Amino acid sequence: MTVPSSSRPRKDLLARIPADFVRAVLKGHSALGLAFAAAIYLVCLTGSLAVFAHEFQRWELAGTPRVGSLSVDAMQRAMAEAVRRGGTGVEHVYLTPPGADLPLATVFVESKSGESSWLADGEGRLVARAEAPWTEFLTRLHINLHLPQTWGIFLVGLTGVALLSSVISGVLAHPRILRDAFHLRLGGPRRLQEADLHNRIGVWGLPFHLLLSLTGAVLGLTTLIVGVLGMALFQGDTAKVYALFIAEEPKEDPRPAPVIDLPPMFAQVGRLAPGGRVSLVMLEHPTEMGGAALFNVERGGGDLADTDSFAFARGGRLYHSKRAADNNLGESILGSIGKLHFGWFGGGPVKIAYALLGLGLTYLAAGGVTIWLARRRDKRNPAPGLERLWAATLWGQPVALAGAALTALAAPAAGTAPPLATWAAVTLVGLASAARFSPRSIARVGRGLTGVLLALTAAVHAGVVGGSDPASWTVDGVLALSGAAFLLSLRARTAAAREPLAA
Amino acid sequence: MPDLLVMTLILAGGVAGSWALRRAWRAKAADKPRWRALGWTTIIVTLLWPAWVMGSVRGPFIGVTLLSVAAMVVVAAGVQVRAARAGRTGNGSLAPEPVERPTTRWRTTLRWLLAGPIGMITAMAVGICYAVWVPGEPQTRLIIGALIVPAVWGGAMAWTLADARILRATAVLVGTALAGFGISILKGFT
Repeated sequence: MTVPSSSRPRKDLLARIPADFVRAVLKGHSALGLAFAAAIYLVCLTGSLAVFAHEFQRWELAGTPRVGSLSVDAMQRAMAEAVRRGGTGVEHVYLTPPGADLPLATVFVESKSGESSWLADGEGRLVARAEAPWTEFLTRLHINLHLPQTWGIFLVGLTGVALLSSVISGVLAHPRILRDAFHLRLGGPRRLQEADLHNRIGVWGLPFHLLLSLTGAVLGLTTLIVGVLGMALFQGDTAKVYALFIAEEPKEDPRPAPVIDLPPMFAQVGRLAPGGRVSLVMLEHPTEMGGAALFNVERGGGDLADTDSFAFARGGRLYHSKRAADNNLGESILGSIGKLHFGWFGGGPVKIAYALLGLGLTYLAAGGVTIWLARRRDKRNPAPGLERLWAATLWGQPVALAGAALTALAAPAAGTAPPLATWAAVTLVGLASAARFSPRSIARVGRGLTGVLLALTAAVHAGVVGGSDPASWTVDGVLALSGAAFLLSLRARTAAAREPLAA
Repeated sequence: MPDLLVMTLILAGGVAGSWALRRAWRAKAADKPRWRALGWTTIIVTLLWPAWVMGSVRGPFIGVTLLSVAAMVVVAAGVQVRAARAGRTGNGSLAPEPVERPTTRWRTTLRWLLAGPIGMITAMAVGICYAVWVPGEPQTRLIIGALIVPAVWGGAMAWTLADARILRATAVLVGTALAGFGISILKGFT
């Protein structure tokens, strides 16, 4: 007897996918996850922290003066002094006035003799080097893994594609993901617990995961995509692709000249974009006759791409004007991608949400491999070597990053080399520990060391750097609390292990 | 309206919508539809109304971000803590076992070539083809073409690593790449 169609229980869309297809997709999902898990884990973990790059920068520079606003004359003074300190052959100067998010005035100089970065006070005097090695180390690790720029960025872009692919196959490979959307069972069999966490984070963070992986992949693959576009459509001239989006370079004229004069240009910007906030002034060859200045002006409002740009030749002639209000769809998308990827479009609450969701994504990468290992164990085919290696990979990174932060704090003038060396050394030692210790021991030591290092970093910073910036004290507080949480989790796990029924 | 207040309301809407969906999930069959309708309505409204207050693009993106957090809070609130050595009840919600298929070294190599470089070239061809042939502003065509590249590459990766018929996947990817580049170069970017 057939059941009337009206009384049959309705299956959701995913549950109607044929079982063989699901099993095949799951095979691909597992293979991709295993191949890229470590890279996805590292990129997601560092990305979750890099959301707070500005706060970390403030934390590292907490001993320097906060600047609420900077007058035009002060900016000119700061720029001229930075150019003088930059030596001969100054190519570019980037002047960043203070903003609500980052109340610091910074001047970055690129010259033939090297690069230097300075902090200005409210009068435009350069008072300190703007060195934030931990922030620089962290963001570079996320953006290009500290590899040569082109390759590193491509690898991170490839990781973004792998993540996007995993998200797609993950949805198709888990037909019950919607039906079980609210099931969260902790304790009990390890595989079931990890699967619940993996699938709940996966389904409720899905829009965020798609957005992050797509924007990250595009940002990482930009050079490659533009290269191929230029080759296929513009006879190999990639400059023609860039010319569609950015202001043209000024005409070269290397004859020496006095430092470029900004105040008349600021006056024009004030007329062109009344009420706007200058967020960046970029100078091209400021001591040459062919010098030019590009102004980015934030207009506020509800669009993510809200920045006007104006470029002036040395004499004050406006040769490029692009208003955000006139953006077409492509320009608006381009202006939004970075903000959407880093969560810099809604202030503190959105940054916190991004960090939490980012850590969820990090857990997703970690948990996927854990489930695979647990499945092997369930099938009486355990991989103890891989279990140890994976535990070392997972727990090595929090220790390595916390160690890098402490090292950067100890030697702020030495650049990114000390934190990078610490990170690399701890990562290698962590991986080597897999040869000898059990996953449980590795996890315990990882938790303990991370907790101690975080607490120590907070204490050293508060004691040595201090400062009155509330952002800096907040970072110290979060570091101390996180350290305490890691140490307490250690204690809780010890207590659980004593329970007769604990795993 | 201050941003912080708007975000608080978005979070509240997200919690309310997710909670209603959770009620639908737990309810008996007869009660499910009304809770489900209430949940989805609340979620859609929560995603849309910030557009009027925070901007047409910024508002919904803030909405969708905070909504995910709110939903996870609701899921976490319903956590079920089980004894560590509880039986294996609930194993039905585990994913099925991945398919076991015989393979050879060349098939594995070809599969990863398809997922990697060949998939990338195919995705480039599709993105460029879009930029060349679809009408619109050049910047828009190029940016959407660029967004298509990782999306198609990701899709190709998922497909080729799953599909048992590897020669079919090869033919489709190579054919798409040749056709895509061919008809793009034929027209050129205007």
